[in-house]
Amino acid sequence: MDVLLNGLVDAVRLLLTGDQDSWSITALTLRVSLTATVIALLIGVPLGATIALARFPGRRVALAAANTGMGMPPVVVGLFVTVLLWRSGPIGSLGLLYTPTAMVIAQAAIATPIVIALVAAALQQVDPDFRAQMQALGATPVRAFAALLAEARLPLLAAAMAAFGAVVSEVGAAQMVGGNLAGQTRVLTTAAVLATSRGQFSLAIAFGLILLLIAFCVNLSLTLIQQRQTSPR
Amino acid sequence: MSTGIGCRNLRVYANRRQLLEVPDLHVASGRTLAVLGPNGAGKSTLLRALGHLSTHRVTGEILLDARPATRAEMREAVVAVLQRPIMRRGTVAANVTTGLRFRGLSRREAETRARPWIEALGLDALADRDARSLSIGEAQRVSITRALAVGPRVLLLDEPFSGLDNTTRADLLADLRAALTGQPTATILVTHDRHEALALAEDTALLIDGRIRQHGPTTEVLDNPGDVDTARLLGYTNLLPPALTGGPNTLVARPEHTQLVRDETDEAGLVPGTLRRTVALGIATRVDVDTSSGPLTCLHPGDLLATELPPVGSDVHVRIRETRSLTARS
Repeated sequence: MDVLLNGLVDAVRLLLTGDQDSWSITALTLRVSLTATVIALLIGVPLGATIALARFPGRRVALAAANTGMGMPPVVVGLFVTVLLWRSGPIGSLGLLYTPTAMVIAQAAIATPIVIALVAAALQQVDPDFRAQMQALGATPVRAFAALLAEARLPLLAAAMAAFGAVVSEVGAAQMVGGNLAGQTRVLTTAAVLATSRGQFSLAIAFGLILLLIAFCVNLSLTLIQQRQTSPR
Repeated sequence: MSTGIGCRNLRVYANRRQLLEVPDLHVASGRTLAVLGPNGAGKSTLLRALGHLSTHRVTGEILLDARPATRAEMREAVVAVLQRPIMRRGTVAANVTTGLRFRGLSRREAETRARPWIEALGLDALADRDARSLSIGEAQRVSITRALAVGPRVLLLDEPFSGLDNTTRADLLADLRAALTGQPTATILVTHDRHEALALAEDTALLIDGRIRQHGPTTEVLDNPGDVDTARLLGYTNLLPPALTGGPNTLVARPEHTQLVRDETDEAGLVPGTLRRTVALGIATRVDVDTSSGPLTCLHPGDLLATELPPVGSDVHVRIRETRSLTARS
């Protein structure tokens, strides 16, 4: 119990004194996970919308695949991305393994199925005639689709939150494709794992707290946006 | 040049099956056409095809002001109200501006343009309410107001009154009629209710199995069924073949014009039959009679006590006060 208490006290002290390494690790964590989330949204929203709205053979299989992908272990994703980026792998010549870019790729691969599945579910909740009614009022197909996204913005924001939460907290893929190189690819989760394995519990707890704080702040801002738009204008 | 909306050689297909074929149809600006048909006749299919809203394959021409119209022109000119009112998130007032906003108006301009319509359709009290908290009747009123606020050249109404209770429906019908009067809007109302056609439309087309069987002034069309199908659609459900009447043509009659003769009489022209059942409907009593050439339904006003009617299985006579001769062979 003392270990935990002392760890917490040290962690808070560490946070307040503003250790340079901790800040750079935090900044990299944010950069990697937010970039991965944005990429996952850019890929996942159109795909999720297609699955929700278009009629094509294999639509249900695609939805089932996305739902399965939501539960994909990060280690498995990390393994595939590692193989892909390995020196002798299909795109090994790019030299991306053990770089933040590799971590973004892996985390985007983790987050994309989450976004696809949640976006498809969000859009399927809206009345199937919604776009038709918007077009019947004079909207172009693109405008009607934008109106649909606006209509489903609450669950869409929830999809973004879920995607960010999943990637910022994962450790397996970040470790495998990033390599946890100090000053280069060390993020909060891999740093916490390393500190724990070295017995530096205060440091590990400090990283854990920062991680929690980041997750809370990002989700708080998204929740505030979400709830502000719930009340009628 | 005649203004309004129309179509030429319009055909709609689901896969290879033809759902609808309308060789020629035109509704002039300022007039309302009711398209009356039973469920599954292709009414909504016709409406959506005319509005370029169909998800099916459509061939032929949609005409705006007597010339083929592009999708962009139609988008600008046409507004459709679908059967179920679909509201966006936000207030009633914001919803009413939707069509105007799609046409590029600023929020302020749209609100200014929408305001008189909100007042005309009696939505003032609801203007600040969350549109998704409305009853179905209120939502349909908003949906119609939202369409009218655009000031469309063409208004397409897809059974907007179905699902509303009688009072709400009557009020909304009256308000819509008042709102359309004097507007240069060509309106097409799709419905299965002839009373709605009578209340709103100068002209009526009867659509059965994807084809228009009759088309003309509403009062004429509603009172002169051309064939058995249109007769049934218009409430002339009693069929009187030549064998029964002795005349040259099949006649049809409404149940409310067909009544059981309860006194002894030697009146000519009565139809003999056997009483099959009686059903008390509250404000009327329905009596079903089997004749040598098929069943007849009689509708008597009021709740006839069972004692006033002969027992089931009795030989009875039926008097038919008013008949129509079918104007075309089905």
